[in-house]
Amino acid sequence: MKLSRRDFLKMGGGIGVGIALGGGFWKWGQPPPSSKLLPPGIEKWVPTVCGQCLGGCGILVRMIDGWATNIIGNPLHPINRGALCPKGIAALQGLYDPDRIRSPLKRIGKRGEGRWQPISWKEAIQEISNQLRELRENGEPHKLVVLGGRYRGLMRLLWERFLEVYGSPNYIDNQFRWDGIPMEGLFLTQGIHTLFTFDFENVKYLLSFSAPLLDSYWFPIHALKAFGQFRRGRTGQRGRLVQIEPRLSITGMKADEWIPIQPGTEGILALGIAHMIIKEGLYDKEFVLKNTFGFENWVDSKEQTHIGFHDFVLSEFPPQRVSSKTGIPIDTIIRLSREFATNQPSLAIGYRDRPFHQMAVWALNGLVGAIDRRGGILIPKSIPFQPFPSPSKDRAARKGLERKRIDEVRESPFGIDQPYLFAKNSISGIPYRPKILFLYYSNPFFSNPCPEFFQRAFDQIPFIVSFSPYMDDTTQYVDLILPDHTPLERWQDDPLFLNNGFPVLGIRQPVTPPIHQTRATGDVLIDLARSLGGEIEKAFPWKDFKEVLLYGLKGIYESRRGDVFGLEYDEAWIRMLQRGGWWDPSYKSFEEFWELLLEKGGWWDPIYEFGERERIYKTPSKKFEFYSQGIKGVLLSSKGEEDSSFLPHWEESVPKEEEKYPFILNIFKTMALDGRNANQPWLQGILGPHLFEKWATWVEINPITASKYDISDGDWVWVESPHGKIKVKARLYQGAMPHVVNIPFGNGHRTGGRWSKKIGENPYRLLGLELDSLTGQPIHGNTRVKIYKA
Amino acid sequence: MHRWGMVIDLDKCTACQTCVVACLAENNIALIGPEESAKGRTIHWIELVPYIQGEYPHVKVRLIPRPCMHCDHPPCTKVCPVYATYLNEEGIVAQINYRCIGCRYCTTACPYTVKYFNWYEPRWPDEMRGALNRDVSIRTKGVVEKCTFCHHRLLKAREKAKAEGRDLLPEDYVPACVEACPSGAMYFGDLNDPFSTVSQLSRERRAFRLMEDLGTEPKVYYLSEGM
Repeated sequence: MKLSRRDFLKMGGGIGVGIALGGGFWKWGQPPPSSKLLPPGIEKWVPTVCGQCLGGCGILVRMIDGWATNIIGNPLHPINRGALCPKGIAALQGLYDPDRIRSPLKRIGKRGEGRWQPISWKEAIQEISNQLRELRENGEPHKLVVLGGRYRGLMRLLWERFLEVYGSPNYIDNQFRWDGIPMEGLFLTQGIHTLFTFDFENVKYLLSFSAPLLDSYWFPIHALKAFGQFRRGRTGQRGRLVQIEPRLSITGMKADEWIPIQPGTEGILALGIAHMIIKEGLYDKEFVLKNTFGFENWVDSKEQTHIGFHDFVLSEFPPQRVSSKTGIPIDTIIRLSREFATNQPSLAIGYRDRPFHQMAVWALNGLVGAIDRRGGILIPKSIPFQPFPSPSKDRAARKGLERKRIDEVRESPFGIDQPYLFAKNSISGIPYRPKILFLYYSNPFFSNPCPEFFQRAFDQIPFIVSFSPYMDDTTQYVDLILPDHTPLERWQDDPLFLNNGFPVLGIRQPVTPPIHQTRATGDVLIDLARSLGGEIEKAFPWKDFKEVLLYGLKGIYESRRGDVFGLEYDEAWIRMLQRGGWWDPSYKSFEEFWELLLEKGGWWDPIYEFGERERIYKTPSKKFEFYSQGIKGVLLSSKGEEDSSFLPHWEESVPKEEEKYPFILNIFKTMALDGRNANQPWLQGILGPHLFEKWATWVEINPITASKYDISDGDWVWVESPHGKIKVKARLYQGAMPHVVNIPFGNGHRTGGRWSKKIGENPYRLLGLELDSLTGQPIHGNTRVKIYKA
Repeated sequence: MHRWGMVIDLDKCTACQTCVVACLAENNIALIGPEESAKGRTIHWIELVPYIQGEYPHVKVRLIPRPCMHCDHPPCTKVCPVYATYLNEEGIVAQINYRCIGCRYCTTACPYTVKYFNWYEPRWPDEMRGALNRDVSIRTKGVVEKCTFCHHRLLKAREKAKAEGRDLLPEDYVPACVEACPSGAMYFGDLNDPFSTVSQLSRERRAFRLMEDLGTEPKVYYLSEGM
């Protein structure tokens, strides 16, 4: 079909538009990558789950002639109901990134040199299984370490199963994020290690302590979608948001009020607010009496009296002290405490600060009873996957598993993995040095503070394998690359929940056959197990990851809960039936269930049970603990008997070398880049809309401060800390505090494709290695810098 | 006759820029790398425009998503010497890329700066070309382009309604930006229909338009933040 210009104009009122003409109209640069399943030019929308971040949005991918040509939200998926965040759409550019790793690569030059030899999958698997076999034969299976990053679902169980039958206790969860999920606060007060949700949609007053709600929330779509509802979704009630943060972020701009605060002092402010709420008697007395422990002074079984939260906060955190530390006026503290306590339902949220600072924010929620209620903190039920049968282990595996973990995590109070300790112990060789390292969804050379530290650790490990689909700073430094599919090419499960606590399971299915010679890491793992033979092979009776997925789904089918995704009004119907003891799903057999899952995009269980205390409070007292007995058992030896160690308190991090380094460094994240996705030009083009910044790393400086240092807008400056320096563009910004400079994280990859390599700088290179003694993670906001013109 | 218009509720808007990226994907907008971006040669049919007022600590920043305003009295069409840009009968300010001679009078005349000039041939790596949207033509070097309210979607929706023998329904035609908005801050529809959502919202107390004093009569309305 050929169109003349005249036809073209006639056809459409000529708004520069060609209607879907399909095949022959375009001269494509290369033949479509897949076999044509559909007639030319006919579109098909394939449901799957986005894998750009951890939001878990259901998406529909528009397939024409074997090409993915657009992505929209899946209207049936309850998490996003047709909406998306900018990252979701840019998944197209992740899929078709011209610089993807196209086949397994073997290093031929020196480490990090970037000289690679493409090899076949057979050779690659052979090579790894040889190495793994040798390690086992030498009786050192515990020296295999897997460093895993942020992802969800059965894949994690598969990794752990592999390590278990192989004989290594070393799965290390490397989820470094200050703006990550504040899980320690939940553990200290409610004794729970699993995830929780905030019921934003029903909150009237939201007090945010530097939580990056609209900037880089851990599940972006949950906050973005809830925000519209929070603001104007309820007749006659508009939610009020107060953002307390050192920098005027997007969240701060969109909030009703922005209150600048000295970085790192959010915790003491929360305690100051608690002080005023208690002093004025504004707390929820019924909730505190019935559901909390450690509010009043109490006597233990040895008849020893302990101080409660009430007396502790009243004596330790008067507004004068809090005001001098935070820089916030006393009358603002008083006003915030009154607003927070009287506008019910209210909710306080924070970021992944030091554990007892998180606990301070959590304590505010305890004071107003925002636990397990509408507009509060909810604990979702888990998704009833069919558990894997417990595998039998051979002697080598049992011996390996008896060894200490390399990060000594069993001694860590929160039970969270300690990647820094892994690196440190790899360098020191105590208790032992890893011999083989697998990297899955993990790029510590870029996304962990002080990347050089990890590089030194890697120098001690003889064989490193990366499963990354893209070249990144860490993958550049390995010995063998086994590229994974991108999320749009693979099978996966995505268990999550809605803000209101409903469990949701999205099904990720391939929208296109693999474009390059890549393989899903799940399938590779099963292959590896097979090539190792023996008990290891027997523990993986599945052909590929899809079979693993089907195996897990059996449990959901048999649980007699929930249904496949449906329209919004189906929700009430399912709930009504289940409440009445009925269950009437849209499917009659497992096969039908599976087909519907693929067609609709997933399964959900639209019920949240309030008041199941054993699920909400897993603390020793079976209550919300203002005085954390859970942590007391673990910490007693190291911290002594001091009561204040187990109450929410404030730990000052002392600023160093203030004369030499006059500014506090505040690193923030943007919606577009949170460590991944820098290879996508669309996202590079929307980095900092408030300053029109694109494709760059910049430093935000208060204009008055800048003029003192003779720095103008757009100048190139060096930002230097005791640990390193980077050259970035100075931007004058009225939303910067005079003594704080702000740098976005996300760019500064030293290697990668044409769109990510050597764009901007990585501010994590300015950070040192001062770790929090409880979590083993670097401490936030205690790095100081100086700035001078380049 | 329809009169298409848009309403953007700034109180619900989260400044996430999903609209921006959805538009880039839908309309085959050229990839602009770091060098051209630094020269200010980016193309965004919809973009967030910052308004920073006041001084620290009393700062107010507004980020306003700004597509083409599709003015009822568009200054850009009046200066076009070749009738490449004009106001069509449904109120959309159209741009015929192939008629454009690249004089850029319209880019200068537009007070909202929403008309973009192609400084060079738009290029995509071979690995990506197949992923372009087949419903929208690719522009060439030296022509001006702009937001069309995703007019190709209207054409498709009309065809579909006609084939099904029914009238065009409001939900049949939605631009890509409105469709993708996660917080439901964007509305689209017929301003001539007094009962349509956009029409009702455009008469709300919070409604305002950009640079109303110029008399351009934009058909993009904003609802201000706050109560």
